[in-house]
Amino acid sequence: MQVSSKEKFWLTAPITFFLLVMLGFPLLLDLIYSVSEVTFENLLAPRLQGFENYFETLQDPTYWDALAFSLKFGLTASLVQLFLALFLAIYLEPLLARHPWLMAVLMAPMMVAPALIGLMYRLILHEFVGVIPYYLWEWVGDSPAFLGTENAFLTLVTIEILQWTPFALLILYTAYRSIPSHLREAARMDGANSLQLLMLVELPYMMPVILLTFFIRFIDSFRVFDNIYVLVGSGAGGTSTSLSIYIYKAFFRGGNIGQAVAASVLLFLAALLLIALLERFSRRMETT
Amino acid sequence: MKKMSTKLGLVLLVSLFAVKSLWAQVTVLGWPGGPEETALRKAVEVYNAGPGKSNGSVNLIFFNRDGFWDKLQADLAAGTTEFDINLTATYAVGRYAPYMQPLSLPSAAMDVFGDKVLKTMQFEGEQYGVPTDLSLHFMYYRNDLIDKLLSDAGWKKIYGEISQKYLGKTLAPKNPDTWNWEDYAATALFFTKSVNSASPTRYGTVLQMKNLLFNMMIWHSTARSHGGEWLDANGNVMVDSWAVRQGLQLYKTLYDAGASPKDSTSYEYAEANAAFGSGQAATMLQWNAAFGSLNNPEENPAVAGKIGTVAPPAGPAGRVTHIHGLGLGLNKNSKNKDASIKFLNWLSGAAAMETYALGGGSPAMAKSITDKISGDRPDLIKLGDFAGSYGFVMNGGTSASALQIYTLQAEQFTGYWSGTKSLDEALQATSKGMADLLK
Repeated sequence: MQVSSKEKFWLTAPITFFLLVMLGFPLLLDLIYSVSEVTFENLLAPRLQGFENYFETLQDPTYWDALAFSLKFGLTASLVQLFLALFLAIYLEPLLARHPWLMAVLMAPMMVAPALIGLMYRLILHEFVGVIPYYLWEWVGDSPAFLGTENAFLTLVTIEILQWTPFALLILYTAYRSIPSHLREAARMDGANSLQLLMLVELPYMMPVILLTFFIRFIDSFRVFDNIYVLVGSGAGGTSTSLSIYIYKAFFRGGNIGQAVAASVLLFLAALLLIALLERFSRRMETT
Repeated sequence: MKKMSTKLGLVLLVSLFAVKSLWAQVTVLGWPGGPEETALRKAVEVYNAGPGKSNGSVNLIFFNRDGFWDKLQADLAAGTTEFDINLTATYAVGRYAPYMQPLSLPSAAMDVFGDKVLKTMQFEGEQYGVPTDLSLHFMYYRNDLIDKLLSDAGWKKIYGEISQKYLGKTLAPKNPDTWNWEDYAATALFFTKSVNSASPTRYGTVLQMKNLLFNMMIWHSTARSHGGEWLDANGNVMVDSWAVRQGLQLYKTLYDAGASPKDSTSYEYAEANAAFGSGQAATMLQWNAAFGSLNNPEENPAVAGKIGTVAPPAGPAGRVTHIHGLGLGLNKNSKNKDASIKFLNWLSGAAAMETYALGGGSPAMAKSITDKISGDRPDLIKLGDFAGSYGFVMNGGTSASALQIYTLQAEQFTGYWSGTKSLDEALQATSKGMADLLK
């Protein structure tokens, strides 16, 4: 059945309108604010001033510290999640194939809002009311300061991993299950052992999905806000200021709306670049 | 018949809205989830049953407490008319002043609150709110432990040895009401297990060192009692001073010696209360509001009934406590200003404040009023006394940049305490940042 251009227009009109209103307008406003001198007092009448906000942001050492924190956090968390989920997807495959309902149980952590996860761990890790420090004091007579400056990064990354590894597991398990059985049979016929099967057949077959999972988890961990903010704020001396927390603090606490929006536009451009690279990579994988 | 019913229904619906809009004239945005909310509900109930019948009744709305000030900022900046009266605070009054209308409270308000308390709601000479609640700090201590320390010869000897080792002088235990900061530090060290293995508590004190603006308010008493100030009389930043260094070093010394829990750099109000309430800390500098909960046997059986409270220790410049008020003021964009002003005027009266206090609020009122309700609220007497005798607001503490300054200090000073910044770096960055903010 042929669809006329008029019909195409009307069929796509609602979603186009929705995107224009919900994404296009805020983006346009952000772009205007990012090149304006704007405070809470003149929100409705910002004064255009060029790219000063961008220069100020790029010259702000705390912006670079926040960027470095987010990169370190995003890379560490996403890589560990990826390897852990890959291991679990392969190791638990026979069990999950027999009992598919177990997957629903494993998904439970990612159903909880990150801010609530933050609150939960704030309680669990507290030296005097938390269950983990309690047993550590009981068994070994001491407990580390989980949220102290020296351990905060490790604790925050661990919490991120515990919450979001199930998401990576779901994708990778599905990809692992979708490997055609004839590929495995052919490899076995050729004398491949289990390690060779994994390294030379299964992982290469799953590689596009593995990379996609990594990028999705990296983007998500890179823009982390809720659980860190609830657990340690921006950290002693600002040591756990992620880029999202930097933007929030600049906007609300500092009242530097132009600078905060400029930082968010830079973050948006970086994400766009990453998505473009991912798209290009996916196409290349499809053609090879 | 069907048409008739529809019309009748519409008329009823419109009438309902009309009656509702006449009835609910004033909307108040209050501070949610604590005794302030309970108290405000009680006061509004009384108002609506009395003066509200002719002046216009009052409705209450509440945001979530998390990010409250940021949400309020965004709403006010957007010119909201969703509420007529909103919460304000001493440290935020300058920030919200552009969106609020100054008040001319009845002269009786001066008799109820006094000048010092009314000033907590003033910015550039204008009154922006009715001061409904006052917050200040108590030095909480375990009176069972302190009693033993004051009477046990063995403990006294160890106390002297510890103070000599850590503070460079041999001190004798004193009554907390006569403490200076060295006495506090020596007591905190004495009751720290890692310093004194015979200590009955794991830690001697609880410091709130999270990178959070409210924690700076607690710490300020140490600096101010040494003579510290934000700005001199000419408005120049003066935080890089001997007094501020003394206060910062006191926290650092205690934290590094293990006198406060190891993850104190993530502690704020709730964490500190949990630590003290567990019975494993001997002292704590904390907001006055914590007393009720800590002394409740159902909530904190380990310490309830064993808690003493005094004003913070003295320094060379005297004994002080940070004070700030929460209050209610008028939204500049309110569409019900007359009715709102009537409510605020009523709220600033003695009868309303008595109701508010009996409902759980913590207003700082004249002694004659507090005495009347002292049977139900004995803590208010101490609150009023401490506010009058020791209360201070830093010079610049009500400015439009006050919140940013607190935030800046929190970032820099917690960096010093946690060891990621030197004292000089932290103070220089604070001085520069404050100068930029106050330009």
